[in-house]
Amino acid sequence: MKSILKVLGLGIATVTLLGACSEPPQIAARKALRPDVAPYMGADNGFMTKNWKPGDQASWTESVDKRTLSQSEQRRTK
Amino acid sequence: MARMKFICDTERCIECNGCVTACKNDNEVPWGVNRRRVVTVNDGIIGQEKSISVACMHCTDAPCMAVCPVDCFYRTDEGVVLHDKDICIGCGYCSFACPFGAPQFLSVGAFGVRSKMDKCTFCSGGPEANGSVAEFKKYGRNRLAEGKLPLCAEMCSTKALIGGDSEIISGIFNKRVENRQANGKYTGSQLFGWSTAYGGPGTPDPTPTAAAKIPGAK
Repeated sequence: MKSILKVLGLGIATVTLLGACSEPPQIAARKALRPDVAPYMGADNGFMTKNWKPGDQASWTESVDKRTLSQSEQRRTK
Repeated sequence: MARMKFICDTERCIECNGCVTACKNDNEVPWGVNRRRVVTVNDGIIGQEKSISVACMHCTDAPCMAVCPVDCFYRTDEGVVLHDKDICIGCGYCSFACPFGAPQFLSVGAFGVRSKMDKCTFCSGGPEANGSVAEFKKYGRNRLAEGKLPLCAEMCSTKALIGGDSEIISGIFNKRVENRQANGKYTGSQLFGWSTAYGGPGTPDPTPTAAAKIPGAK
């Protein structure tokens, strides 16, 4: 009986000590929980431009490309 | 897919620091942190003074991403290099790796204690919800999600700084250089494009270096 209790005690002590060696969740797992939302999904803050539809990537790209081209003043002087 | 980049035309930049002010104001960047700054070379030398507005260049093969020990950087589908401040430990490795000095750290106390890294986000925020208050507090405005471009580029008075899809803005720059050449003006940087710079199709052979012309040189 004594030997059984001794083995049981040793087993519990081993499990407790090994439990302290476990690792917290890794950074990679945290990163996967934080995906970024694509800009073409729009922003719900009332500052969005009106000429594209949130969620439609093609219309967002077209709108931003048009805005990019408007940075060239040489298009306006001809 | 668009690859967002900035170009600064040194023949046009007049060192007004409007881009710096616009960035600090729009993103409410704290004192001591400059996401964008204007660098001037040959200051005061007539005809040789050139200024360039510098921020994160959103490198295609970003060295900051390569050296980060906690892998807090990520690249969006638009080619913008962003980072997650909840993962950043403020070690400063990215600051040493970056050739443009883009990563910035706010001194938050005595003994050189630093904050988490802060840098230009191409006005596209971070991992928080687009346009949310939490995103604004950590990363500033998310103008891309509003269908706009970075404010520094959009408000540049001389249009020296332009930003957007790399193919479009390199086309704008090419046209400027062509016009300068046609008018007999000093062209500054020569014609180039990102496809060429990164070895895309039709890339010309590199010019032989001086060492290669020496007989027997390796």
